[in-house]
Amino acid sequence: MTQRLKVLVTGASGLVGAEVTARLAAAGHEVTAVVHHRRTLVRNDGTPLDPATVRCLPADVTRPRLGLSEAGYAELADGGIDRIVHCAAITDFGRPEEDYRTVNVDGTAHAVELARAAGAGLVHVGTAYVCGERDGLIRETELDQGQRLANGYEASKLRAETLVHKARADGVRAAVVRPSIVVGDEHTGVVRDYKNIYVVLKLTTEGRVRSIPGLYEARLDLVPVDYVADVITRVTERFDEAEGRTFHAAGAPLTLRDFSDVMAEYPSFHVPRFVPPTSFDTERLPARERRYYERIVSLYESYFRRRMTFDASHTAALGVRGAPGDGPGFLRKLIDHCLESGYLGAPPAEAAHHSDGAGR
Amino acid sequence: MILSEEYLQNLLDKTLPQIRSTDGCAVVLEGSIAEGFGNSSSDIDFLLIADNDAELPTMPSLLFVDGRRVEVRTRSVRQIAEQFAAVTTAAADRPGALAEDLLNRCQRLLRSFPLREPELVAKVKELMSSDDFRTTVREWWAHAARQSIRYALALRQLGQEQEAAAWTEAGLLQAVKSWAADRGETYLEPKWLPEQLRRIGDHPSAARYLTLASPSASGLGADAYVTEGVRLAADLGVTGAAPGAGRITVAGAGVTTWQTGERVHVVRGRQDVFVLGDRAALAWRSLVFGRTLEQTLAAADAAGAPQAGPLIARFLRFGLVRVAWRGDGPIVPGLPLAAPSGDVTPPPSTARPIVGVGGATAGGAEAIDLVPVPARRFSAAAMTLVWSNVLVENAREDLVGALGRGQWSVARLSALRMLRFALRGVLSSYAVNPLPPDSEVVRRLSLLPAGADLDDIRAQAEHLETLTIASGPQGEAALAALDGFVALVRGATGADRFPSSFDSSDGWRQTLEAGYDWLRLGAHLNADLPIDEAGDLLSSGGAQPHAASA
Repeated sequence: MTQRLKVLVTGASGLVGAEVTARLAAAGHEVTAVVHHRRTLVRNDGTPLDPATVRCLPADVTRPRLGLSEAGYAELADGGIDRIVHCAAITDFGRPEEDYRTVNVDGTAHAVELARAAGAGLVHVGTAYVCGERDGLIRETELDQGQRLANGYEASKLRAETLVHKARADGVRAAVVRPSIVVGDEHTGVVRDYKNIYVVLKLTTEGRVRSIPGLYEARLDLVPVDYVADVITRVTERFDEAEGRTFHAAGAPLTLRDFSDVMAEYPSFHVPRFVPPTSFDTERLPARERRYYERIVSLYESYFRRRMTFDASHTAALGVRGAPGDGPGFLRKLIDHCLESGYLGAPPAEAAHHSDGAGR
Repeated sequence: MILSEEYLQNLLDKTLPQIRSTDGCAVVLEGSIAEGFGNSSSDIDFLLIADNDAELPTMPSLLFVDGRRVEVRTRSVRQIAEQFAAVTTAAADRPGALAEDLLNRCQRLLRSFPLREPELVAKVKELMSSDDFRTTVREWWAHAARQSIRYALALRQLGQEQEAAAWTEAGLLQAVKSWAADRGETYLEPKWLPEQLRRIGDHPSAARYLTLASPSASGLGADAYVTEGVRLAADLGVTGAAPGAGRITVAGAGVTTWQTGERVHVVRGRQDVFVLGDRAALAWRSLVFGRTLEQTLAAADAAGAPQAGPLIARFLRFGLVRVAWRGDGPIVPGLPLAAPSGDVTPPPSTARPIVGVGGATAGGAEAIDLVPVPARRFSAAAMTLVWSNVLVENAREDLVGALGRGQWSVARLSALRMLRFALRGVLSSYAVNPLPPDSEVVRRLSLLPAGADLDDIRAQAEHLETLTIASGPQGEAALAALDGFVALVRGATGADRFPSSFDSSDGWRQTLEAGYDWLRLGAHLNADLPIDEAGDLLSSGGAQPHAASA
């Protein structure tokens, strides 16, 4: 380590936040972990983070001064924070607009204010999907291109990143890391929380959702959580180089055809029909499937027709290890872990009795 | 040795003039005669060793000298050193993965009898420690035995007692070869095993082996034979094959599963399509990799396929699924020096027609039938079959419309299209792909086998191709004749339940679903799809292409 940094991590109990916190602490930095609902830090593989290595600070990014007392906030701002890694965000889809605004937008505004007050460098964790429904090569230098955004999540993350850009013009030192769809570990497939894409995987492989509006050539970019944490850690530690730039933390893109082919390798899995969006009509779905579609799958519909590629030149130039390359191989690892853990693969007889929490 | 050294030297004298560049070479006799086995019909195997680093050919020369078959091989000292080094390297890592030919070549040299330049022969043999080599052969056979015994246990659990006994027999032979190797009997070929055991002398393990050498000789039932055989294999030093619950799991074999309608197809190596009968499909669909055989059988039972062991055993045999030993990877049984290993491929299915709209024709509930055409052509033909049925409906609508307006020429063309589209379906259901041009489809029915339905279709098609429509009554008669013909075709090609696509939105939905189901497999295989027509259907939003109120 070249320099011992004082780092404040927001959203430190989240999937990405916990891994970033663990890396920074292991590297010998003095880490203050901002936690909200979850007061303990658990790594992606389920091991708790040693409380002795990290100082936990209960706070609320949605409130001014992170909900701290004036004195508490002043102590933080004057305490010589070198970096703020802003991981706190709502990444679920289908939440009320208010949630996205308070956590993703206001939370970022509060992180920016603290960075300004403390004179700290801000590492903002955004999303590669601020590109909205643009196709083709998405550059790290591009942000608001007038793109159509698919949902409240994307809109809030675009607003948040725009805030960071404005603050930068205003003297706040900042860098942005944009992960794509964060999933399990690159080598083991292990994931702590089965959310988002995992729920879609469960509904389709169990045959609850048989048809999906999507194009075979559409791409989903899945990125391992450990790789994302590596990129964020590198940007934090080499902030002088990273400042003022944006870094895509993207994986190996998988086409829906790749998904179809890999899912077909598992005898018990149902492989969904990918129906061109123009031909898809929810009215034609059986009633039960229509309910699943409307409550869950429709939230992801836009992602099944996008054909983008994330350019990651900045990330490569910063010397981060190579992005994962074998998309289908990685997907197999993710699925194999889901089978091992029992998240996927319940036989039909069993599946009928289990609730997946995905809406009935 | 059964042959005297003098005889061998004499034979060598007669052999060497027939071989190029033998000056200074050492010569050894190797193989069964050098081992002290052999009989009057045994080959004479000479190895010439050149004291240099030349790249000498691997292929032996076959000669006939004095009425005996003589094989002459050549190796340079460098090549021999490399062979030994390869064995040593592999033995340190995975002795079971050693190629049998490499091991055999080394063993034969190490146990050879010198006939020329004995000093060079001795120098070469010193390149490999005989103790190390003995350990390598022991572990190599033990690995094979372990796999065979594990496989036998898997088969027994799947209710295949006879096959389990056969693999136990193979595993015991391999186990006793391992045991014998540890006692210096490293000769690889199993054919002289009785002689090897005789040389080892009286030993309880050898005696036990002889009583269990085959299921028939043992006098035991298949199940008892497996139990006793597994026990003896362990006593002979084969570790890691003890029976016990939860030891064996199912694992993937890299095949893919594609369901169209209710029919399940399994594609092996992107080339072979297996179609599963209903019960076989239930058993297949209950397989989850990583689960134990006990769990797998219980899941099949719960899914409606009780006693699925024999079905799963057939999946295993055909290489559609693997079994694995928990914590030690896939079980790969084999019979070294005896039989090629690999997945069994059954003879192609004779069920006809080959494919219907809802999937390939399966010969019964338990069927795991090999479709008799390659996967890509199968997929393309099925896709064309679905489309031909859609196009028949399309042409019929045009015909009805033209008749309503008295457009007799248009009606005649529509009738012809309806006929030819129906015939596209007939040919596709027999996997004729690509199709002949439409102008030839009636004639090309000659490609199909004789049979009541097909003969009828041929006769009617020839008649319908010459229909004239010049009046309302003629038109109505043509429509009725074509409807009858289409019904006949669909009955004969398994499409009789094909939704009349444009009659109802439900029928249209089923049509689309059949198309999308086949499209998945087509996309997987990069099959030739009737893409223009498919594109129309897939991008039309499911709208009926010719209905005014679509």
